[in-house]
Amino acid sequence: MARDLAIDLGTANTLVYMKGKGIVLNEPSVIAVNRQSGEVLATGHDAWDMIGRTPSYIVAVRPLRGGAITDFDITERMIRLLLQRVGVSRFTRPKVVICVPSAITEVERRAVTDATRRAGASDAQLIEQPMAAAIGANLPIDEPVGNMVIDIGGGTTETAVISLGGVVALEAIRVGSFDIDAAIQSYVRREHGVAIGERTAEEIKIQIGSAEPGPQDRSADIRGRDLVTGLPKTVRLTAEEVRFAIDEPVAAMVLSVKRCLAKAPPELAQDFLSRGMYLVGGGGMLRGLAARIERETEVPVKMSPQPLEAVVLGAGHCIENYQALRGMFMGTRR
Amino acid sequence: MISMSFFTGLFSFIAIVSGSTLLVMIYLDNRNVRIDDGIANFRRHIDALSPEARQSSVHRNDPENRR
Repeated sequence: MARDLAIDLGTANTLVYMKGKGIVLNEPSVIAVNRQSGEVLATGHDAWDMIGRTPSYIVAVRPLRGGAITDFDITERMIRLLLQRVGVSRFTRPKVVICVPSAITEVERRAVTDATRRAGASDAQLIEQPMAAAIGANLPIDEPVGNMVIDIGGGTTETAVISLGGVVALEAIRVGSFDIDAAIQSYVRREHGVAIGERTAEEIKIQIGSAEPGPQDRSADIRGRDLVTGLPKTVRLTAEEVRFAIDEPVAAMVLSVKRCLAKAPPELAQDFLSRGMYLVGGGGMLRGLAARIERETEVPVKMSPQPLEAVVLGAGHCIENYQALRGMFMGTRR
Repeated sequence: MISMSFFTGLFSFIAIVSGSTLLVMIYLDNRNVRIDDGIANFRRHIDALSPEARQSSVHRNDPENRR
């Protein structure tokens, strides 16, 4: 008998929670495929190491962009492999709850559920990421108080106000930490005439990226390809330059938080001042982002203790209490 | 002949009225049950989100608890 599963199928990482066991898989949402035969060559960490370093017959891709499936067949194969790796066989078909961005369209929603059912699930239900994040971040969403959660993922930023087990206000944009990486790539190309890959851009973001000036500001040497000579070149990038480069996506994230605050009913809005807002998701770990949101909204921002796992833990809680929490699934609201 | 059709009519009338009353009572009873169900479902939903209910799933995976 297969144990039921919760999957956080993120643009950046995929996490799997198994009923009764907890998190059993956590790896990058990347798949490497042989372009000629269509064979899957690697997934997860192995495929991640191949990005930008493959011969022409191999393609290492992220099948999700902005939280949505961009390649249905590859996503289905990725989910099938995930299910196999956690012990699902042809004869054991588990119920699966999948976390998806709240801004997902009806077509995208159907694509995710179809891909999951075809990959071997007996039933596939979807749950909005901010709701799952609020459950996983241990916010008191069972009480009649305003809980605000900001989930910044690889492809989306979602802000939700939750009270009494339901979403009161929601704001979602398709801007996430990959847009920050892309902004760094584009800045280095434009200002230094050097082409860098997405992995290098991500490393720069982790090492010296920040949304607010701070005492840890430093510079880093980065290596790429000179666009004029075509030769390898090293350039020095400062934290201030990176801050300038990523200001547009960061400003868009802050603006979406402000829009959600404006949508919240006044009775709940006063709760935020005393309780604060909670930041989850890998994108929320950008240095100074919490401080920047706090400065611009004048509402305290706290970091969730498990920013990367909060969403899958919330979905995992739903799979543990499947009957009682059925009403939380998208399309089954009472 | 006239009395027979009178009694048939009377019995039919009583049967229709009784049947309708029964249906209305069943409907009202079901409606009450549905209202109670709504309260019970909502209670179950909220209880399942309480910190105690989350003890087994979310807390178990808390890094501080895993140490």
